[in-house]
Amino acid sequence: MAAVEVPTEKWTGKVHEVTLGGNGRKSVVVGGESTLPFLHFEGSLPHRPIIAIEVQDSEPKDWSPHLVGAWGDVLADPAAWAKKAVEYGADIIALSLKSAHPEEANTGADEARKNVDKVLSAVDIPLIIYGPGVAEKDNEVLVAASEVAKGQRVALGNCEEKNHRTIAATCIADGHVAIAHTPLEINLAKQLNILLCDVGLSPDSIIMDPDTGALGYGVEYTYSVIERLRIAALGGDSMAAMPMISPAGAESWRQKESRVAEGVPPSWGEHEERSLIWEEITASIVLNAGADIVVLRHPKTVEVIKATIDKLMSA
Amino acid sequence: MALTGIEIYKHLPKTNCKECGFPTCLAFAMKLAAKAVELSLCPYVSEEAKQALEAASRPPIRLVTIGAGERKIEVGNEVVMFRHEKTFYHPPGFVVRVKDSEPADAVAKLVAEVAGYSVERVGMELKMDGFAIENESQDGANFVKCVELVSSKTDLPLILMSKEPSVLSQALEKVASAKPLLYAATKDNWEQMAELALKYQCPLAVCEPEGLGELAGLVENVTGKGVEDVILDPGARDFGPSLVNLTQLRRLAVRKSFRPLGYPIITFPGEAAANVEEEALLAGQQVAKYSGIIVLDHFSPGIAYPLLTLRLNIYTDPQKPIQMTPGIYEISTPKPESPLCVTTNFSLTYFSIAGELESSGFPSWLLVCDTEGLSVLTAWSAGKFDAERIAKTAKEFNVGEKVSHKSLILPGGVAILRGELEEELPEWKIMVGPREAVDVGGFLKQYWAA
Amino acid sequence: MSRFIATSAIRGAHGVVKQAEDMLKDALEKFGADVPVVFVDKEGVGSTYYLPVIYGYSGHKVEKLGDLTWPLEHAKSLLAPVPSDNLWLPYLGEIADAGVATFFAEEIIKGIEFVKGKQPEVHNGYKFNGPISDPQTRSWGIQLVDGSMPGFAAVIGAAKSNEVAVKIVRELQSKGQLVFLSSMSNGRSIVDQLLEEGVDLGYHTFTVPYGTDTESVVYAAGFASRAAFSFGNVKPGNWREMLLYNKFRCFAFALCLGPMDDLKWATGAGAITYGFPAICDTVVPNILPTGITKYEHVVSMPFDDIPGKDDMERAERLIQRCIEVRGIKIKIPKVDIPVAFGPAFEGEVVRRENLRAEAGGKGGTCFEWLAMKDMDKVQDGKIAIVGPNLDSFEEGVKMPLGIVVAVAGRKMQKDFEPVLERQIHHFINGAEGVQHIAQRDIAWLRFSKSAVDKGFGLKHLGVILHTNLHNDFGAIVDKVQITLYTELDKVEELRDQARGVYHERDARIAGMTDEAVDTYYSCTLCQSFAPNHVCVINPERTGLCGAYSWLDCRAAFEISPTGPNQPVPKGRCIDPVLGEWEGVNSFVYEHSNRNVERFTIYSLMDSPMTTCGCCECVMALIPEANGVMIVNRDDYSMTPCGMTFTTLMGTVGGGLQTPGMMGHAKLYVTSKKFIPVEGGIKRVVWLSKNVKEEFAEELKEVCEREGVPDLMDKIADGTVATTVEELLPFLEEKGHPALTMESII
Repeated sequence: MAAVEVPTEKWTGKVHEVTLGGNGRKSVVVGGESTLPFLHFEGSLPHRPIIAIEVQDSEPKDWSPHLVGAWGDVLADPAAWAKKAVEYGADIIALSLKSAHPEEANTGADEARKNVDKVLSAVDIPLIIYGPGVAEKDNEVLVAASEVAKGQRVALGNCEEKNHRTIAATCIADGHVAIAHTPLEINLAKQLNILLCDVGLSPDSIIMDPDTGALGYGVEYTYSVIERLRIAALGGDSMAAMPMISPAGAESWRQKESRVAEGVPPSWGEHEERSLIWEEITASIVLNAGADIVVLRHPKTVEVIKATIDKLMSA
Repeated sequence: MALTGIEIYKHLPKTNCKECGFPTCLAFAMKLAAKAVELSLCPYVSEEAKQALEAASRPPIRLVTIGAGERKIEVGNEVVMFRHEKTFYHPPGFVVRVKDSEPADAVAKLVAEVAGYSVERVGMELKMDGFAIENESQDGANFVKCVELVSSKTDLPLILMSKEPSVLSQALEKVASAKPLLYAATKDNWEQMAELALKYQCPLAVCEPEGLGELAGLVENVTGKGVEDVILDPGARDFGPSLVNLTQLRRLAVRKSFRPLGYPIITFPGEAAANVEEEALLAGQQVAKYSGIIVLDHFSPGIAYPLLTLRLNIYTDPQKPIQMTPGIYEISTPKPESPLCVTTNFSLTYFSIAGELESSGFPSWLLVCDTEGLSVLTAWSAGKFDAERIAKTAKEFNVGEKVSHKSLILPGGVAILRGELEEELPEWKIMVGPREAVDVGGFLKQYWAA
Repeated sequence: MSRFIATSAIRGAHGVVKQAEDMLKDALEKFGADVPVVFVDKEGVGSTYYLPVIYGYSGHKVEKLGDLTWPLEHAKSLLAPVPSDNLWLPYLGEIADAGVATFFAEEIIKGIEFVKGKQPEVHNGYKFNGPISDPQTRSWGIQLVDGSMPGFAAVIGAAKSNEVAVKIVRELQSKGQLVFLSSMSNGRSIVDQLLEEGVDLGYHTFTVPYGTDTESVVYAAGFASRAAFSFGNVKPGNWREMLLYNKFRCFAFALCLGPMDDLKWATGAGAITYGFPAICDTVVPNILPTGITKYEHVVSMPFDDIPGKDDMERAERLIQRCIEVRGIKIKIPKVDIPVAFGPAFEGEVVRRENLRAEAGGKGGTCFEWLAMKDMDKVQDGKIAIVGPNLDSFEEGVKMPLGIVVAVAGRKMQKDFEPVLERQIHHFINGAEGVQHIAQRDIAWLRFSKSAVDKGFGLKHLGVILHTNLHNDFGAIVDKVQITLYTELDKVEELRDQARGVYHERDARIAGMTDEAVDTYYSCTLCQSFAPNHVCVINPERTGLCGAYSWLDCRAAFEISPTGPNQPVPKGRCIDPVLGEWEGVNSFVYEHSNRNVERFTIYSLMDSPMTTCGCCECVMALIPEANGVMIVNRDDYSMTPCGMTFTTLMGTVGGGLQTPGMMGHAKLYVTSKKFIPVEGGIKRVVWLSKNVKEEFAEELKEVCEREGVPDLMDKIADGTVATTVEELLPFLEEKGHPALTMESII
């Protein structure tokens, strides 16, 4: 036997802990890591990565039949959908206010208030609330949603450089968490964190979304950006030390491999198997890089990823 | 500390003989400094220099070859913990396990399917890499028969799995020239295994689940016998132990230059997985986290395709992005009257715009220019995405014959090219699209009347 | 600090505290201590923050009348004696205390008035708003934080005339300011003036009439306090943080119209503690910056003395000065011109058949000149045309044109002039139907018929520049004024002046040395793909991509203080020859993710700068020739070191420190600090032909400067040598100095 001294990293930094929910609602905490993902032998990982299930405020029109089949009727009713998501094992609900998109129903603040209220009453787990992804509309519906959810400590996204002040202001006023989204670049992610802290949002009220490319669509960039941000955080850079979220589900389901069943090469394999694995691998690889929250779509993915996290956390 | 190229150069013969394959001694020294080549390539290096340089320049993980011929698997030579630090060089081999206890026709069918499997992605053909044949029957004759069956169906590299050196020996008599990996030397059989490996000049896997110290000891025994090409099996199987063990092995090799463990690693994700999906996820984890050979217990195209894609992604050089082949791409079966957009051949740029076009509801034509893998603005500022080049590409791929209109949509970031492009393509109407790919759907809705 | 103001304010504070005391005594007797005290607006919508100023300062919750006793006692305890006529003190602390005491007393008075049913005030049948409700505070608060509303103005008193009152409010509204109205002057309130003129007041027009008394100004302070609780995470009672939040985040000011009295001064003192300066349209002493507010504290601008052709123009300037004093940055939502504007039009060409008029180009006279001026010399938004306008020139004619831009800003520096001036090209090109080429005195503008038909005139060039300079460079620019000249002799005269300035600037940049500055700048723009690479940019070496000079980086930092260009203080010099400094080392170490420990700026061989991958050239050692070669990105040939540009890039790129190889900009070969440690330009034995040609003249000068005038003929390129074997005989034959220099390794 040879003498082997396993090198351990002496990290000086730690990821900020961010709490969601509370105040009568179940609460979850993410972050707090003092080592790289699942390396229990050299640091502490006080909170397991969590799974958010995406719920949309209006029935999705372009979803794969495999997703529609798995969820059934509840897709038409966000409250019922959210309840079902809890049954399927969601730690949090990611409510997407898609109907506010100018190219969808272009709904406004009132509809947002109504839907957020509905979902908040339907489930007792924390919420993430996503705007439709168009800056002006995001500001309109997220500010309204924020008010309805005051005190429930939800996460509001996406907060980007161009609307960061508005989202930060409403997060501060109502006690919420901002999801700081930046395009695949570590310094942009850090810069947005600095800007948010400048406005007065505290570091434990920020979750980063450094942008997700699905498997085959830039996942390597996401993998490395998340890994680098986490390494920077552990190295002591507190402006990189926010927990991270990845919308792995939405990103993989919008790719051709998941959407298209017909007219693709036979070597792509069976459609349902392929699209599920596509989501699962995207999610698992970002978790391995350092993501703290994955937002998923298919119940089966939730089950498999949950089992994987169990195994990685119990080691 | 690592030596710089200049320091290494001082020890080299400085004759520029070119026999190492590099045009000058300095160029070779630079490669040595990057630990990308071995010093032994230099035929004239002095003993003194060897001593000074060997340790500093030897790759921390030995490059090990499994199999012979075109499809041989080469793994090892990795120099970093994280791909962003440099790159991961040698992608792990995906090997499918067959067992000699299974019916011959089932084995033959599986081998044919796996060996014939190929899937195209970004202009590359992705394939599976080999077979592991396990002596589950515990019967030597059965094993040899199975090995012969597999090798009659494929030239892909093999892994011969048996605890019995005598069984392996019989099989090696038939297939030694294909340089299969012998699996595995253990604390009970290592001497005979090492002899076999030496006799047939095959790489040898060393399996020791008791601990890394024990594993290193066993490797030293085997290398002490003269075996050079070693593959490690630390015995860890499940998600957590695999991650921890493989991370520790990689650290010992690249951070501590710990020679006894400076070899590629073999993993068996199917052995701990509760189901096929878990096997695939664990295999995925091992692609990213340090496996050299991944032995799968299941094969189906629906799983192979995502795994091969993941391997391609993770092993992409982060400093040299994947480039798309220039040409005209069809997004969701376009018609002649469908919109025509132009972009660069940086893969991420292509994927962003292609993805948005896909989900826009507008089937489209996407003209991809050769910008040497640069994104729109970077290519523009480097002079690789100018009006002349776009016009040339448009003509080269006969876009005029694909579409019935004369409108070309430029990325908003290079609106500045519009005037010049109108001069280069006088019959065309040049439209300026949005700056961000995500806005292309809205843009088409608003401006594409056709 | 002015003794006059201190005396008035302290006297005013005494008065109002006494008034509050009397009222409270009376009210307690009449209503008892348990009657509730609640602030609501005229719709009856209230606040959960009690009496917000008292709550903010002390954490004390006023819920019923009896709760007012403590604040009153506290206010009394803050009162200093009124300064005697013969004693001169700094008074700053006394004034601040008087201000706080005044706000406490005023809030107590308002609380009692609510109990008495006298709030919100009804005056001449008009119901005032009273304190702003919580929902409205939240809605406006978000706009204040996100910058869509730059700040608020508390207008106190009455304007010179109704007309001026309307103009003042309209000016404030046009700048996005929230307008609070209270108090009277000479028995008139600005609210009266506005109502008489039919101005619509209320939340929906961003105007809030608080009351006709000076005490109601305290509602504005209450609004600011609540903004700090909601958006500043300020805990009630943490007065210091509340005040700091308002000083730095809440861009408010008081505009005092008409004569001041003791109570107004005392209230003004309260506003100053919040960091809100006061601008008075009467003769009062000025209080210059001392730290409580961001800039000036009290500014006197006697209305009739304001330069201007009429009261309207005077009112405009008054507001302009308010904006300046508070340091408010204006965003203009839209470029207001008759044609479309945006990046989509940047590449548009105005062709001959569509040409209405042009300026500059071959045989034309046209120039652009941006210059910095003092704050009071620039009138923001003023656009003047000297000479005939576009439409008076015949079709297709070449008109003379001089574009002269004057900018002012508290953070503007002379050195930013060229950085901003270069933007003119980019800005003007964004207009549909207008084409802009080149810069300075070779600028060339083409106006299309379609643009001119739509009403585009020279004035709109000014609008474009004014809007975009504010929006993109608001961090350094506060005021922009544009003058357009179209008379040939005037244009020529000014152009010649401008040429002198261009020349001075060039000379200054050329003469700028590393020694003359104590800060270099970083660029980490490329860390997306080269995570461990940091560019350090010094005056004598531009960024290796060729795109960023030291000045550019400095301006970029001012504009975006959290961006990729950060100041790198040189710190203690470790080795002046190598160019190694402690500050630079530690910056690079930290920002290279602890990969690069030492970093010199003058050596190729010892700890040189790393390369991202964007460099214009790579320099590589050729040990056989005892020199270095330089290959440019556009040179695809093989080089004597055995590697092409691409291969070299693969070796040197990615942030790896590689002694003997270094990426750099083309321009670096002309620098006085070109690898001085290795002997400078004399070490160059091979240089890409295209660089030789592009910089022929500059290189000639460099060689003369270095005392080797014929060096260029001795330097090889791809046409004479692509291997070491070919290179050496060439160098021997020409007698290249590197061959006899000290060994490079």
